[in-house]
Amino acid sequence: MSQTEHDVIIIGGGHHGLTAAAYLARAGVDVCILEGRHEWGGALYTAEVTAPGFCHNIHANFMEFLHVMPFFQDFDLPSLGARTIYPEIQAGIAFKDGRPPVLIYRNDMIEETAKSFAVYSKHDAETWRDLKTKANQLELIVSAALYTPPLKWNQGETPPSPLLPAHNLFSLFGLDEEMAFKSVRDCIDECFESDEVRALLYRVAIEFAAPSLEWPGSGYFFLFACLVMPGCWRMMVGGTHRLNGAMVTACIKSGATMRESSRVRRILMEGGRAAGVELVDGKRLMARKAVVSAIGLKDTFLKLLGEEHLSPYARRRTKNFKDGPDQVLGSVAMALHEPPKYKSAKWDPGIDRAWYQVVGYDSAKDVLDYCRAGHCDRIPELPAAAVWINSLWDATQAPAGKHNLTGWYFFPRASALTEAEWEEVRETYNEKFLTLYGEFAPNMTRDNVIADYLHTPLDQHRGMRMREGDFGHGAMSLDQMMGLRPFAGASHYGTEVPGLYLAGSCTHPGGGVTAACGYNAVKVLCEDLGLPQSVWQNPARFY
Amino acid sequence: MGMLDQAFDAVIIGAGHNGMALGAYLAKSGWSVAILERRTEEGGGLCTEEVTEPNYLHNLHANYHSLFGICPVYDDLELLNNGVEYIHPAVQMGSIFADGSAMTIHTDMAKTAASFARFSQKDADTWMRLWDEVSGYLDLMVRTLMYAPPIALKDLTRALASWGVEDKSEFLTARLRSMSVVEFLDKHFENDRIKAMLAFHAAICGYQPHVRGLAVSYPVLLGKIANWHVCKGGSHRLAHALMRVVVKAGGRVFPQVPVTKIVVENGRAVGVMTPDGFVKANRLVASSVDVHQTFQTLLDQEVVPAQTLKDVAEVKYQEASLFNVHLAMNGLPRYKAAAFDPDIDRAWILNIGFERLADFEEEFSLVRAGKLPKVPRINAAVNSIYDPTDAPAGKATGLLRIFAPFALEDGGAEGWNKAARAYGQACVDRWLAEMVEEDQRQLVRRFATETPLEISQKIINYRFGDWMVGQIHPKNLLEQRPTKELAEYRTPIQGLYLCGASQHPHGYITFAPGYNALGIIAEDLGLDKWWEQV
Repeated sequence: MSQTEHDVIIIGGGHHGLTAAAYLARAGVDVCILEGRHEWGGALYTAEVTAPGFCHNIHANFMEFLHVMPFFQDFDLPSLGARTIYPEIQAGIAFKDGRPPVLIYRNDMIEETAKSFAVYSKHDAETWRDLKTKANQLELIVSAALYTPPLKWNQGETPPSPLLPAHNLFSLFGLDEEMAFKSVRDCIDECFESDEVRALLYRVAIEFAAPSLEWPGSGYFFLFACLVMPGCWRMMVGGTHRLNGAMVTACIKSGATMRESSRVRRILMEGGRAAGVELVDGKRLMARKAVVSAIGLKDTFLKLLGEEHLSPYARRRTKNFKDGPDQVLGSVAMALHEPPKYKSAKWDPGIDRAWYQVVGYDSAKDVLDYCRAGHCDRIPELPAAAVWINSLWDATQAPAGKHNLTGWYFFPRASALTEAEWEEVRETYNEKFLTLYGEFAPNMTRDNVIADYLHTPLDQHRGMRMREGDFGHGAMSLDQMMGLRPFAGASHYGTEVPGLYLAGSCTHPGGGVTAACGYNAVKVLCEDLGLPQSVWQNPARFY
Repeated sequence: MGMLDQAFDAVIIGAGHNGMALGAYLAKSGWSVAILERRTEEGGGLCTEEVTEPNYLHNLHANYHSLFGICPVYDDLELLNNGVEYIHPAVQMGSIFADGSAMTIHTDMAKTAASFARFSQKDADTWMRLWDEVSGYLDLMVRTLMYAPPIALKDLTRALASWGVEDKSEFLTARLRSMSVVEFLDKHFENDRIKAMLAFHAAICGYQPHVRGLAVSYPVLLGKIANWHVCKGGSHRLAHALMRVVVKAGGRVFPQVPVTKIVVENGRAVGVMTPDGFVKANRLVASSVDVHQTFQTLLDQEVVPAQTLKDVAEVKYQEASLFNVHLAMNGLPRYKAAAFDPDIDRAWILNIGFERLADFEEEFSLVRAGKLPKVPRINAAVNSIYDPTDAPAGKATGLLRIFAPFALEDGGAEGWNKAARAYGQACVDRWLAEMVEEDQRQLVRRFATETPLEISQKIINYRFGDWMVGQIHPKNLLEQRPTKELAEYRTPIQGLYLCGASQHPHGYITFAPGYNALGIIAEDLGLDKWWEQV
């Protein structure tokens, strides 16, 4: 590594870091982005973990925001290799006794979803028609909220209230504003009466690193996770990691210096400013203008910076930043001879072609109990999951004629079990899942499985540095959202340490493949570094 | 605009290091270049994955980079400025013998000689004489034999004879072309273990010690014996650097875009088909995949001359593939043999089990019979000794490799699916038996196996698990690799070139096939060379 000084150093080559690097480099800023792992993209991670040629998205899989994502548009990522597929049937739940499935279709296919809901409840079909239509109309507002930095907050002012926008959103949906105080579960129960529909929506609600289904004050998440997002889900051709490939290409094209396998040991301070970084191998890289951390909050402030550089307020808020919803991901991957064929398909073959297939729950209560187990530090007794078989749409993700199943369990946080206990889970849980699976889809026998793999929350914690396996990089409950994410004094991407910025998922709007944290940080950096707004502005977009 | 609905000057099939290097040179020449890769990652054999546990980096294929500093591509493409870092282990390799003795090869050749001298002073002296001789002309040798299109062996012999070097040099003797590595070693050395150590080095370079005629390459092999480098952070990092060079120069790398067909019109390659449609190539298509794929799968059989197809059908692959065991370890290994030679604990690559030349013969005849030795003979590599970043702090990764048949006597290639775990355990046990006692139980945290079948499924160029992409045999080297007609990187299809490991010199991270194809392409298309072709 020849050059040892840059204008801006970005720590972390996940998609937020890449976003910031691409925009700044394109603006002529001398940017160096450092990634600790050998591979770029963070959770945009695809690997052949079961058998050669079977590509599994062990972390991010659903792409909900590509159609509104500035990075995607401004750098023409499709021309750089980010191709997408938009499956018609987005989600579905199958049942053990083979009764009809419940399916959710794309945003532009509201009637088909309503038809599927109507099998169980005309009321639910009507509710969906109404609420999903509104959700589609609100897309611009939601996008603007994602891609705009929260207002800057100064010490001594009243803390920002994320409840206000939540109230507003409920009223835009024509729902009672006070529902914002309720739990996700209460909102679902209030709007939908069918147990089958509720089961599907409960499970859908937790996919996006949601707070617990039963925590009061999480109502906004119902709007977001149940109404806005299912229907937007896009798949990356070739696996999620290809989005990373396009982002990396955009960064290189723009002139960013990129260094993987370069883990940062500490942030260097000079004259009260963040002035550079030191890598684990002792190398030092200096930053003339800014150090931008696109990794976790605690790693940034407590490990790399050192709490001695923080005010008592920031120290307190950082230490008390809450990791995880206490139900976190365990990823299951299976290489299959043939895709699952559900009993429920006899009523509606669409379930076999649903992208996201919920399997193993026979009632809404099953889903609740499943989530409660995680919150009580227990592995769910019912080995259920939601899975997707991307090879049904994209033949490049598996060898000819074969299929790649990947899915998510929800487990307790990483520290709830010992390493040996996680090993036990790794060795046994897929087998239990498969046994249960066979009751829903009889062809899912051991003989249909070429190889399988389980990625535990401890693996997520260690590999992706997602603390406790929390793929939201900090709980996404209302107390840690918007102007309060990660806390009031740091929610504007700049921090109390001059020259140090945050751009990771610990900032607004949180976890998920939004590229918003990085983009919003760029907006703030442009202001602070005296760069024109044209760096990020696009006449076709108002955010 | 979509990613592929434009025409490119060059379309390159396969984003291994050869394809990417060729693409980088062409892009830096101002050409528009698309490199299409069927796998999910670019890099081909430059493949690093966390197959045991998160943060344990395992090189699944290419692990040794022995041409750094010799190969012109590193400088031409400024790879070091693009994020590659190399480490040069001071103790390159070693052997642990059954009686507890050990031998080490150092970058400091005096230390190597001192280690050899503990077994035979005479051999140590011979070694130094050969080393000094080869050091004198290694550059010339490498440049004429590797980084240039192949020279016919008989022309080479004739030239050497007419220069009259025959009796002045032990290495330039024409007799080498009819000798095996074993015969060469028997001729020069007396000690079994020194011979075994040197034959081991040849074997892990893909040169079976008993094959007649391979001694001709021995000077080049020997000259590089102390030039083995670790790619810091995993071999895949070289792929990242290559991609950066390609993209900076305006080229594109598209993983997960498998080429399904090379389109030929009027005897000329005009582009390729992919699942996304036709990709037009204005000037050329270059294939870096194996010749069977290129000629039998990707080309319509009608457009290829019958003789070409016939010759390609006869191209052979290595008899010995590899069975790999990737280790996640709780620390660095501490060998019992360190009592004999403390340097063994710092040896990057290790021979455990080859004690004499006859062992190689036995090993490879077992391989030919589809069998595995009961007690595995291991070649091991512990990158973490020199690159601690490839594992969590205080931990280590390791790689155990066995020369192995692609098809097992019991169950054929698929038989590996059953045999892998138990044989992997046998390898781990054999490895642990060399450790000091307190390490034997807790050194290995977890291991993952990789069978010849899996190697061939993951990187389909490695037919029959052959990471050399074509047999290392006098009949398939130099001007005969892969066939006489195809040896010059050109094909009977106009505008279609071959630039992968199927070509001279062979597989390994040499960049030579890509670089040599570049020279031919530059000649054919009148390219203005901004680089100095060696």
